[in-house]
Amino acid sequence: MGLSTRHSSRFTPVDFIEENAELLARVQQALSDLAPDGADLLKAFHRIQSELGYVPKAAIPYLASRFKTTPADIYGAISFYSEVHTEPPPRILVEWCSGPACLLKGSLRIRRVLEAVFGCVMGETTSDNGIGLRLVQCDGTCHIAPQIRVDHDYIGPMSAPQAVQLARELKARNLV
Amino acid sequence: MPAYEDLQRAAQEVWAAIEEPQRPLVRVAIGSCSLAVGAAETLEALKKALAEQRLAADIMIVGCPGLCFAEPLLDIHVPGLPRIVYGNVSAEDVPELVNDVFHGDGVCKRLAIGAIPKQGESIIRYIQTAAAGIPDIHSHEWMSIQETRLMASCGVIDPVDLEHYVARGGYEGLAKTVTMTDEQVIQQISDSALTGRGGAAFPTGRKWDFLRGAPGPVKYMVCNADEGDPGSFVNRNLMEGDPHGIIEGMAIGGYATGASYGYIYIREEYPLAAERVEAAIKRARERGLLGENIFGSGFSFDLEVVRGAGSYVCGEETGLIASIEDIRGMPKIRPPFPAQAGVFGKPTNVNNVESYANAPLIMRRGPRWWASVGSESQKGTKMFSLSGQLRRVGVLEVPMGTPMRDLIQTAGGGVPPGRSLKTVQPGGPLSGIIPAADVIVPGGVGILLEPDPFRERGMFMGSGGLVVMDDSNCILELCKYFEWFAETESCGRCTTCFAGTRRLVEILNRISEGEGRESDLQLIELLGETMRNANCVHGQAAPTSVNSMLRFFREELMEHIQNKRCPAQACAGLIRYEVRRLSDRLEQAGNICPTGAIVREPDSTYYIDQKLCIKCDACREIAPESIEVVDITQPESVVEPAAVSE
Repeated sequence: MGLSTRHSSRFTPVDFIEENAELLARVQQALSDLAPDGADLLKAFHRIQSELGYVPKAAIPYLASRFKTTPADIYGAISFYSEVHTEPPPRILVEWCSGPACLLKGSLRIRRVLEAVFGCVMGETTSDNGIGLRLVQCDGTCHIAPQIRVDHDYIGPMSAPQAVQLARELKARNLV
Repeated sequence: MPAYEDLQRAAQEVWAAIEEPQRPLVRVAIGSCSLAVGAAETLEALKKALAEQRLAADIMIVGCPGLCFAEPLLDIHVPGLPRIVYGNVSAEDVPELVNDVFHGDGVCKRLAIGAIPKQGESIIRYIQTAAAGIPDIHSHEWMSIQETRLMASCGVIDPVDLEHYVARGGYEGLAKTVTMTDEQVIQQISDSALTGRGGAAFPTGRKWDFLRGAPGPVKYMVCNADEGDPGSFVNRNLMEGDPHGIIEGMAIGGYATGASYGYIYIREEYPLAAERVEAAIKRARERGLLGENIFGSGFSFDLEVVRGAGSYVCGEETGLIASIEDIRGMPKIRPPFPAQAGVFGKPTNVNNVESYANAPLIMRRGPRWWASVGSESQKGTKMFSLSGQLRRVGVLEVPMGTPMRDLIQTAGGGVPPGRSLKTVQPGGPLSGIIPAADVIVPGGVGILLEPDPFRERGMFMGSGGLVVMDDSNCILELCKYFEWFAETESCGRCTTCFAGTRRLVEILNRISEGEGRESDLQLIELLGETMRNANCVHGQAAPTSVNSMLRFFREELMEHIQNKRCPAQACAGLIRYEVRRLSDRLEQAGNICPTGAIVREPDSTYYIDQKLCIKCDACREIAPESIEVVDITQPESVVEPAAVSE
């Protein structure tokens, strides 16, 4: 009986979670010096995410035991925050800013280009998990609107033709 | 445990070398805004050039002084000259800059945007120097309307350096605070008439007094730094540029209210702000300005940063409290108010970043000085961020009650040439829309930037974002965005909010696709009425923008519904791209099309396959003389032959 069954009571999403010893070890390592005494769950998410790039569902039972709560509550929190990701990041991450300054400067056109060239809609990754298209909120770097970010590098102001060229380059890079 | 005087003396020693540098001192603005345009590369190039040429100079990292439009920005203080500010300095510009400054006369004229003479000193003093002809930066349109208090040190000091902050009067307010009683401190804050800067404009002194009167011993100070309103970035700028002011303000609040612990809740999107606030907390703790027995007064206070993870409703104070408590950040029904039961059920005070940052100024210089700027009803200054269709985008600080027009027309430089101002959207998606006629009033000053004029219009001034729209933009497209945002960020607890916003999105979507009905207007109004009964401000205020659209832009909306026409030609469902004129650029336009919608006929003419066209505009930007946007209701046009070129 591993950690994953400790809280398998009536709240059980646990049965649906695959155990993964290696992932769990890395999660435990990331949280080794964290002593949860309130106001620490988000910190735990951030630490796991900076170590693994995402918060694997396999970590939910462990987090529940560390935070003395139910897996359901942990899952509830994870699913509440848009910047906590439960899937590994794609090889190339393309973030599209949804903010108003970008919108007024034509960001919807950029979005249409990205979706058309990558062949996936916002929030999804290409079928090979190579390129992921993520919607992000405005962070106030509106002087370069409309912008996108490739692996966290800011690019903007961006025109539609530039977006086509960049998207094609990224697609080619992903295939290499 | 150092006395304040010892701290000040040590700080002055450090600062003197910065005020009167013995060798050139380069301040490089490193903030989210500058990093987005390559400031890290500029800094690297500068360091490399100085090292390679063995030049004697110092480099200091500072925050953004608010001129985001001029980033990457740096200023160089050559002994004997005023500080010279250089704008839009890319890594490629560095060799020229270094050459002019270090091997020339000390000034690079091409990149200079202004000079900063010492306080109280006129730029005229430098008429005989290489700085002659460079205007005082304060005469720049961006600066001339400003009254910088909170931002006075942004771009001047190393943001996390405690000595720098202390040398400019920092922690003096806290030192004074601990010699007073809690009631006296609250009296000072009340006398200043400081009101909450997050949007609600509730008197801060009164709010603090609620917490003071709440039963202890455990109480919390919480700083709402979850600046989630898209287009607002004033808090980010302050946290990145001068974080100690916020820390000191929270400590003052802690003393006044009997709270000994605080949380600064910073949104996920602001990693650099979180890093700098955390670094500043660490420095303050090392010097005993946070922790046990501050200034030997017996008062203890400490702080921690909680980083959000992407949720707008966590900016609502009860949602923020829930988020700190290790659960979903869903707003709760008030009462109980945070002062009765906040974080972990304990009495709590929640204020905005800017509210806290004002407290040290009030305590240091007195409420009378603090209230010497502002309007009849609102005192002090307010920070605003400008974005959208403006020539200049950035962050500035003006007296409360400054005409919005001054920010848009003077500082921002107005909308792009050939365009006219359409609306200004203040303070985020829930705040409403101000039409141009309220901003630019012939013979008048237009709407003033203080809470009351917005309330009178059924809107909110919000926390400082001003997003500007011109006549190339569609009001419906903007409102669709706001309602989409409100729907996506609804916590889902109350049906009124999550289903109400969803219905609004559906209605607006169908109008923008040409499927609108005239009865939709009543439906929108009904939803607006119903949503006032939502549990928290998120649902209650979600229809504000749509209501403003009905009020000020009914005609434009009716045009979408009745004539299936988008006057700005922005709504994708109501426009069509067409080849109107043949030209040799059409081949290139065909190559750029991401969906292959531009079809070449055997006779070398072109047409656009409407089933494939995604309306991304790429082809038109490549071949603007050949491709046009037309209303969907217009009959198909005949393609003209190519114009004969010489």
